[in-house]
Amino acid sequence: MTIEAESMGAPVASGVQTIGISNLPNQRYKIVSERGGSFTMMVCGESGLGKTTFINTLFQTTLKHSDFQQRRHLPIKRTVEIDIIRALLEEKNFNLRVNVIDTPGFGDNVNNNKSWQSIIDFIDDQHDSFMRQEQQPYRDVKFDLRVHAVLYFIRPTGHGLKPLDIETMKRISTRANLIPVIAKSDTLTAQELTAFKLRIRQVIEAQEIRIFTPPLERERESDLNSNQDLAAMEHARQLIESMPFAIIGSEKKFDNGQGKQVIGRRYPWGVVEIENDNHCDFRKLRSLLLRTNLLDLILTTQELHYETYRRLRLEGNSSGTEESNSSSTVPLRAPARKLSHNPKYKEEENALKKYFTDQVKAEEQRFRQWEQNIVNERIRLNGDLEEIQNKVKRLDEQVKSLQLKKR
Amino acid sequence: MSTVKDELVSVKREDSEIASVGNAGNGVVPQNGTGAIDTSSVVDGVAEEQSAVENSNGNHAAAPESESMGQVLPEQPDLKIIRRQISGFVGFANLPKQWHRKSIRRGFNFNLMCVSQSGLGKTTLVNTLFNRDLEASSQVITNAGNGDMSEKMEELKIEGETEPEAKVEEEENVTSSVKIKTYFTTIEENGVTLKLSVVDTPGFGDAIDNTGSWKPIVDEINYRFDQYLDAENKISRSLEEDNRIHACLYFIEPTAHFLKPLDVEFCKRVHQKCNLIPIIAKSDILTEEEITLFKQRIRRQLDEANIEFFQPPNYAMDDEDTVKASNALYEKMPYAVVGSNQLVTNVEGRSVRGRSYPWGIIEVDNANHCDLVNLRDLLISQYLEELRERTSNVLYENYRSEKLSKLGIKQDNSVFKEFDPESRQKEEKQLHEAKLAKLEAEMKSVFHQKVSEKEKKLQKSEAELFARHKEMKEKLQKQLKTLEDRKHQLEVSLSNQAAQSPAQPKKKGFLR
Repeated sequence: MTIEAESMGAPVASGVQTIGISNLPNQRYKIVSERGGSFTMMVCGESGLGKTTFINTLFQTTLKHSDFQQRRHLPIKRTVEIDIIRALLEEKNFNLRVNVIDTPGFGDNVNNNKSWQSIIDFIDDQHDSFMRQEQQPYRDVKFDLRVHAVLYFIRPTGHGLKPLDIETMKRISTRANLIPVIAKSDTLTAQELTAFKLRIRQVIEAQEIRIFTPPLERERESDLNSNQDLAAMEHARQLIESMPFAIIGSEKKFDNGQGKQVIGRRYPWGVVEIENDNHCDFRKLRSLLLRTNLLDLILTTQELHYETYRRLRLEGNSSGTEESNSSSTVPLRAPARKLSHNPKYKEEENALKKYFTDQVKAEEQRFRQWEQNIVNERIRLNGDLEEIQNKVKRLDEQVKSLQLKKR
Repeated sequence: MSTVKDELVSVKREDSEIASVGNAGNGVVPQNGTGAIDTSSVVDGVAEEQSAVENSNGNHAAAPESESMGQVLPEQPDLKIIRRQISGFVGFANLPKQWHRKSIRRGFNFNLMCVSQSGLGKTTLVNTLFNRDLEASSQVITNAGNGDMSEKMEELKIEGETEPEAKVEEEENVTSSVKIKTYFTTIEENGVTLKLSVVDTPGFGDAIDNTGSWKPIVDEINYRFDQYLDAENKISRSLEEDNRIHACLYFIEPTAHFLKPLDVEFCKRVHQKCNLIPIIAKSDILTEEEITLFKQRIRRQLDEANIEFFQPPNYAMDDEDTVKASNALYEKMPYAVVGSNQLVTNVEGRSVRGRSYPWGIIEVDNANHCDLVNLRDLLISQYLEELRERTSNVLYENYRSEKLSKLGIKQDNSVFKEFDPESRQKEEKQLHEAKLAKLEAEMKSVFHQKVSEKEKKLQKSEAELFARHKEMKEKLQKQLKTLEDRKHQLEVSLSNQAAQSPAQPKKKGFLR
């Protein structure tokens, strides 16, 4: 590009060095700073894997209290629900609207078949809602809860992924940026962890689950900030190599033995430091989620996942109809989404149907009895008639014989 | 008399319901025979109808609301939002930095339109602004204002009411021969690339009758909006390419008097479609006082005509100086500019861009000599991105809203609702309950209807059975009676005979 411009004989004058184009990124910086941002993250995994603690650790503030009394000591019996924490956080004068979607109860039942459904439904619903808003002629205010990242918490079994994990991750990965993490990784030794990570990576690859990776963007050769970009690429490569991130959550601070207060967990055999790369991958995950790749998560959601959803919805709608031929000035409309898939509702519906089926059966039984009665009655009446008929016959014969006699 | 049995058989045939009764007698009950109520079909039928009703509700729910124009937000759920200030370093404050880097990677683009009568130094000024010879360094696309455009417009206009009128005007415009010429070039500065396109409109204002000479220009702006709208509505879309006009430089002739009617007319047509930046061209023929007065007059005239031009925004985070500077930038409009890429040596002996007159040198990059620096600040180094933002968020949105509304697309405000799982659950529960209630009512009514039908049938056949029996019995009893009478008669007559012949008493005795 530069070569072209130069060969054409520009620039003309050397009196002015710049015309201000190099300031354009700063303009963008200013606009974004002014506007703030919005980030929606979903945490997904069985209960007891430290999802809530992780959220609080990540944002260094208690967004949600671990609800001891409410949940933990009650027997687990629930369908998956959606729980949303909404927060407006301010860091260094920058405002970020944070939405954390929790799915309490996921995978907690004996039969977890389809328990990913409400997670999938939620992600799809948000895309759908945004699409519908975008199609309106007037759309100054839009509500956007499209999920930018899904953290999938893997139980630190040291063995492998469970079928539920695989099935759920597969479905998430086609809809949103999936980031698998190994929860409570302080239960695994370094060796076990390495082996576990390897196994998980193999399964993810074999099952063709697409997980979010930071882009390894190559800058143009001639670039001035190429050193900076090399560092960024190296950082991204490190992040990719550490996946799935092994994390430990804690909101408490301890003395790490060197007189420094660190966030961590204290065991009789030592203090686990959350923000120590030798102890866990928390810092890497934070970097991926916020410090270096927050924008990539947001843009991938908008440009890849949302666009894919939109395309599939509209394609499914207009295929074969004349709509696909008509001018595209008119926004295409997708059919309304069905009620979300709630097993309880289906059960109730079936119960109602069963109630009627039973009633019908009872009635049928009554009718059958009734019909039987009619048959019996007919037999009785027929008997009655037959009796009279016999009488008639007898009389007839008597009469006949009398007549004979008479002659 | 065997007729009695036949009669009973015919009773059976009259009513097929009773036919199954016969079977029932054998112990075989037909499950889905004519008599039995087909539960599955009842239930399914109702369920299907229900879902159809739901769909139509979904599509038409907001129809009556949409009569009111614009976006009216429905009632929102009451949601709790946690507000916190974070003291530590979490890291999301890096987002602007991430944007900074990303924007360099993706590059920038800017579409500038220049409208001017000929001879006002348009080309020179644009070259001065971007410090290069645009005509020499660009790829050029020329649209002969009307020919190409009307073709494009035909594709785009579907059923707009303005179509016939627009066509007539277009034909009239052939005389005005305004052309649309677009220069494309890429400028790189310190690793930042800008894809620039400059849209020139040669021929504007040059005719004797310039009525409607703004039309090809307005058409071009609209056409570019339409292009973007089309791209946005495509199934597979990529919105990276943006050809919308982000700013329009309008060159005012340095008369020192007033704006001409054509100036006002043009600004009126265009100010709500693109960021209008009026400039006083070739201002080196005006004295400082003349410029001040001329600027005042122009602003008053534009103000009276309710024409707004681009106003740089203030940011909440700006310090006082920055706010002052941006306000000053607005105050100085319309900028009085002089263009030149010629290097001249000024009094201090430095080589500068400017124009040399016998009475002195005007330095174009000197803020004391002319407003070129201000124009460049506004247009490029300070507010280029804001010009783009306003184009996209305000001007394009307004165009789109109006266009879609004209095409009869109804606004459905019910979709603008904050997602809340609780109210969502409530809504779904209500929907579900309504669905269940309807299902139940329908199944009940079908059920009752079928039951009562069946009951009636059975009652009827019962009644018929009894009636038939009664009739039959009466008939038989009548027969019996007749026979008895006959027998009695015979007996009487026989006993009479016996009385007549002596042999008879013997027989009588036998019968008894």
